[in-house]
Amino acid sequence: MTSTTTQSGLARARRGLAPGGSGGGSLNRKSKLSGQTKRTFFWLLLPSVILLVLIHGYPLVYAGVQATHDGSLIDTGNFVGVDNFGHVLTSPAFWKAAQFTLWFTIVGVFGSWLVGLGLALLLRTKIPAGGTFKVLLLLPWVVPIVVSSTAWNWLVATPDSLIPSIFRNLGLGTPLFLADPHLAAVMVMVFKVWVSFPFMMMMISAALASVDTTVYEAASMDGASKWQQFTQITLPLIARSTYISWILMTIFCVNDFPTIYLLTGGGPVDATTSLVVLAYRTVFQDFQTGPGVAIAFLMTLTLVVVSVFLYRQIRKSSVE
Amino acid sequence: MNVQSEASRNFSRRGFLGLTAAAAAVPLLAACGGGSSSSSAGGAIKFWDMPWATPAYNDAAKKITESYAPTGSNGKAGYQIIQWNNFYQTFSSAIASKTGPAVSTGGGFQAFQFDQQGQIAYADKVIDSLKKNGQFDDFLPGVLDPFKSDKGYVAVPWQLDMRVFWYRKSLFDQAGVALPTDWASLLDAGKALKKIGAFGFATGSGAGNNIGNHSMIMMMVNNGGGVFTKDGQLDVMNDRNVEATEYLLELVSNGIIDPAAVSYTTDNLNAQWKDKKAAFGPYVLGVPARVGDTSGDIMVASPIAGPHGDKHGLVFPNNIMMYKNTPSQESSEAFLTYYMGQLKELWRQKLMNALPVFKSITEMPEFTSDANNVKIVKEWQPIAKTFAAQGTSLNANLAVLDGGQALNQFTQTILTGKTDAKTALTAFKTGLESVIKK
Repeated sequence: MTSTTTQSGLARARRGLAPGGSGGGSLNRKSKLSGQTKRTFFWLLLPSVILLVLIHGYPLVYAGVQATHDGSLIDTGNFVGVDNFGHVLTSPAFWKAAQFTLWFTIVGVFGSWLVGLGLALLLRTKIPAGGTFKVLLLLPWVVPIVVSSTAWNWLVATPDSLIPSIFRNLGLGTPLFLADPHLAAVMVMVFKVWVSFPFMMMMISAALASVDTTVYEAASMDGASKWQQFTQITLPLIARSTYISWILMTIFCVNDFPTIYLLTGGGPVDATTSLVVLAYRTVFQDFQTGPGVAIAFLMTLTLVVVSVFLYRQIRKSSVE
Repeated sequence: MNVQSEASRNFSRRGFLGLTAAAAAVPLLAACGGGSSSSSAGGAIKFWDMPWATPAYNDAAKKITESYAPTGSNGKAGYQIIQWNNFYQTFSSAIASKTGPAVSTGGGFQAFQFDQQGQIAYADKVIDSLKKNGQFDDFLPGVLDPFKSDKGYVAVPWQLDMRVFWYRKSLFDQAGVALPTDWASLLDAGKALKKIGAFGFATGSGAGNNIGNHSMIMMMVNNGGGVFTKDGQLDVMNDRNVEATEYLLELVSNGIIDPAAVSYTTDNLNAQWKDKKAAFGPYVLGVPARVGDTSGDIMVASPIAGPHGDKHGLVFPNNIMMYKNTPSQESSEAFLTYYMGQLKELWRQKLMNALPVFKSITEMPEFTSDANNVKIVKEWQPIAKTFAAQGTSLNANLAVLDGGQALNQFTQTILTGKTDAKTALTAFKTGLESVIKK
């Protein structure tokens, strides 16, 4: 078999075609809706739109007011324009938190995706007690974060905790996982991956379930190796789900307050303070409402930009 | 076959962005959400109380509230528990929407924060009533003064949350060392205790644990220092504070403070006491019950002297405040006067983990049956100072000091030991200056 033959076979496989089969063609046709149908849609959607505006729109506008004023939660105070944003953007604490948030998000998104992908592929194979295994793997996602953070604290917090004791018995010293700034940052990220991989696993499993197995048979017949099947078929076919899960996980990570706050409180010495933790502390511990809400606005803006980029990737990944 | 559904293709970018923005805004909006409030019957006083102890405490407080029989045209009172979680937001939202309480307990400096925003009704008439019924003279010395402002009494104290030194006797016996009486002997004892695997200054500054913060201020205050001048101006860099910070760093460098203490939650700290790792250290009232060892091995130590002979402890005088938004100010005052008269019931039932503010309660058999309580009243309460030290008057800035980032960063910097006193204090001062209202 020539390389060309293999490539063309993989290309057909990616399009979901049996060898020699005819294509389904593009489905990117805009449906033409009649005026009556559009009006019906409008009236059906209106209650939800009103609800969304009330639930999200009003608080967002009010938060905007607070971000541009110098008051408190009770009294909005005087208009200060973008002073709060300037104050925040010139604060070293903000940039330190932004840097941690970036790393936390990168590790959280890609770490959980890699683990989730590996396990989703493993669960496709016939393994004994696969159903039980799947349920067990979902536990980190299902268990309340308060419970899991307590469990992790119990595992690593003191020199006599289980994991430091194991290290000590192996002659590797006694690492203080939550007391050392670098180790605490790593620990929080590992904890995030542990909490999040079941979500990724389910997303990828769902995507894989929709892939016709004949695609792989076709690729095998064309002489594609397992690795080629994975890189040339599996990854492209789950690309859309992957990008969507990345968008969601990015939002989850950037906005993740409890994972960090319950495990380390943002410490030691701000080593694990993310932007959302900083925003919370600024508003509710330092009582600086304007700057705190300004941080939250900057987070939202960043998330929108990242999400737009990833959404474009989704559109690019469409199979024509 | 096509992996792209029609629905997803028809999902516009604009629609997607709207959804994304909405999803991203959720935490932001959550931070600005309104608090819950209970409606009350016309003219009835809303009394909001915090979970100060076990649920039995709130049951008893509710019973006291609902047993109130007002005289004349005064309204009755309704009781509601407000959780500590985001309590400031709950109060703020309720006050802003005019659905807040008429009377409440709350954070130690909350009354001053809301007074700053013009929401507090002064308690001078309640104090007058207490003078008439004899309770004014029953106050322990010094507990009322911190609440007196130029405009009047901002709140009325009802319990004292003390920070005192506790010790585990068996560990001192095992180490063959006497209880410390001053900083030098605390250092020596700490070194001896370290040899048997115990810590001579147990503290913690992990998630949700403010004991570490309080330890720092307690040692400054113990040495005659404090974060403020007598006039309430910032005074972080004074010599006594520098001395206290250097001493704390010495405890860290000698391993007398657990190197992992910076990350210890209250549960971790309790476990250190229970597992006989903690031999001596500052903590709240009721440590034996808190850590589950009522054998009598954990006891209150006497105050220790600083290098200049100063002996001071730390106290948070918790208080009951009244708000301007009330069906009737007279009703608020009448209810608060009544409630102050019923406080003894809470200690009679042994529901409180704090000192009472009335001498008569400290003399009740239910209170004196605990030798630790008696020792705290006798030895610690008279020398206790507040966060306002070196001053005496409480103010709204103390809330920023107590719960704010500046003190927490300072504490964690000290507990990690990778600093010197002046550098840490300078950063502390800068942090406070950026958030404290002049």
